[in-house]
Amino acid sequence: MVKIEHKRALLVIRIGDKKFEWPIETRYWRNPLLGIAGLALLPLLFVSKPNILALITTANIYAAIAIPLSWQITGIGRLNFGPQFFVGLGGYTAGLLSSIYLWGPWATLPVVILMGLGFGFMLSPLTSLAKGLYFSLITLILPLIFLEVTYYFSIFQGETGIYGISPLVSVQSMTLELVIATYFSLILMVLFLYIIHKVMTSRVGVYTAAINDDEEVANNLGLNIKAWKVACFVITSVMITVVGWLAAHFYGTFAGVTFLPLSFMLKILLVVMIGGRGSVYGPIYGAYFVVLLEEALTVLGTVHYIVFPFILLILLFTLPEGLYGIYRKHRYREYYPTIRVRKR
Amino acid sequence: MILQLQNVSKRFGGLKAVNGVDLSIESGEIVGLIGPNGAGKTTLMNLISGTFTPDSGNILFNGVDITGKEPYEVCRYGISRTYQIPRPFPGMTALLNVAVGVLCGKKRPKMSLSDAMLDASHYLEMVGLFGKRNTLAQDMSLFELRSLELARALATTPSLLLVDEVMAGLNQVEVLKAIRLIRKIIDEYHVTILWIEHIMKIIMEATDRVVVVHYGEVIGSGLPKDVVSDPKIIEAYLGEKIA
Repeated sequence: MVKIEHKRALLVIRIGDKKFEWPIETRYWRNPLLGIAGLALLPLLFVSKPNILALITTANIYAAIAIPLSWQITGIGRLNFGPQFFVGLGGYTAGLLSSIYLWGPWATLPVVILMGLGFGFMLSPLTSLAKGLYFSLITLILPLIFLEVTYYFSIFQGETGIYGISPLVSVQSMTLELVIATYFSLILMVLFLYIIHKVMTSRVGVYTAAINDDEEVANNLGLNIKAWKVACFVITSVMITVVGWLAAHFYGTFAGVTFLPLSFMLKILLVVMIGGRGSVYGPIYGAYFVVLLEEALTVLGTVHYIVFPFILLILLFTLPEGLYGIYRKHRYREYYPTIRVRKR
Repeated sequence: MILQLQNVSKRFGGLKAVNGVDLSIESGEIVGLIGPNGAGKTTLMNLISGTFTPDSGNILFNGVDITGKEPYEVCRYGISRTYQIPRPFPGMTALLNVAVGVLCGKKRPKMSLSDAMLDASHYLEMVGLFGKRNTLAQDMSLFELRSLELARALATTPSLLLVDEVMAGLNQVEVLKAIRLIRKIIDEYHVTILWIEHIMKIIMEATDRVVVVHYGEVIGSGLPKDVVSDPKIIEAYLGEKIA
């Protein structure tokens, strides 16, 4: 007889007389690897279903934006309402270079990174100058200005967007091309996950956690908060810009009307919040949940435009620590590494 | 001389919070800073720690002009502080709170987080909080928070420690414990202390010298027993009739 018990951070499986214990904490190294292996299997399971592959890629793209954004929110101690500005920056840079100069994805990538760095540095003073609500308002407006710019200048081709962008890979089979592109999105997401996980469990993670909790005290303890906030903002902005690059080369077309409006930003913020703010793995749960929920609700027809945000709102209220918080509760946060210290 | 304030002033709109303060502290001294509520004691502390920039005057630390320096720079010069109302990092464990001080205080770019935590555990043990190392700061009592703040401030390895009303809100037993703790800190770390306190008994017993501030100005300075018998200071504290 198989019996499964759920204890704190532990799954106890009893098969007859034998007892197996499985730590369900993601810091237990096997769990993230199993999770990633599971995600890696998904495209193979749905090879013949391009619409599901597209959904998986969308979820990976959402997660790839939300993972750095989640760290940015803690690292600068402010809520960025305009991460999609950098998605647009990356997408349009890649799109314009590819459609006008016929550059391939690997040629556009360095330029995209440079653009992310440039705009990241340019906007980074906001992390110190604009506090709380003002920062949120400014970052909220930025992508909307960008959207207006794309309508105004013909080079961006308005609502139609830029098309004819070179694909990530070129092979004979369309299906294979889609599967490879889906894996690209997964690799990018896992790469971001690895980077942010490493950062959060290092001394830098402690710095950003301190800034998030009380930046004035952190400053008084010798932490150059301005420099760290700039670093955090620029690094995460570059990462989000790269997601724009991926989206442009994956879809072969890029239109600001898809990525720059408020509705896209809301989805990303919900991914962060539902996944669990300040957690590394939470955005993945959040991204897959939001994408699957949106897809499942399409059977309701146009009513789903009302039902979808309504369900998300309920979840935000009922799960303040996010989906991931169901396991974690409020024992500790992901960016606070627990190292056991023995008495000297 | 470890700290020297030369004609330091700070104004908030029409209010002169600190007005032409001259103050010198010798290395190893324990200086009590007293004065009625709103006298400008905490503002003075904020000026020294770099939280506020003085409108005029100079602040010298070990002969170096630190006027207008950022708080993190002031801390790296060797000045650390505690707060009147404890301000821990609430979501962090006690150990991580102190580890932030270890990592940030003096520039230690090569120290790993685990080494910093080991170092932090030493400070926690010193203030008697080792057993609470994995407790979140938000779950700690007032006395524990005050001890944690002292440990965190010490972790930055300061030469000058600014202590702001560390006894406020503590009961008598906790006050005795806190006095013992501060004495232990003085004995073990030989730090210079500028200590704001309202409980005169503690100031009388624990400090070498007392500086009295009233309406943002220094109105007296000297040995604790001399200062408490000065009519000018009694008047500032208790009113003209009693003086």
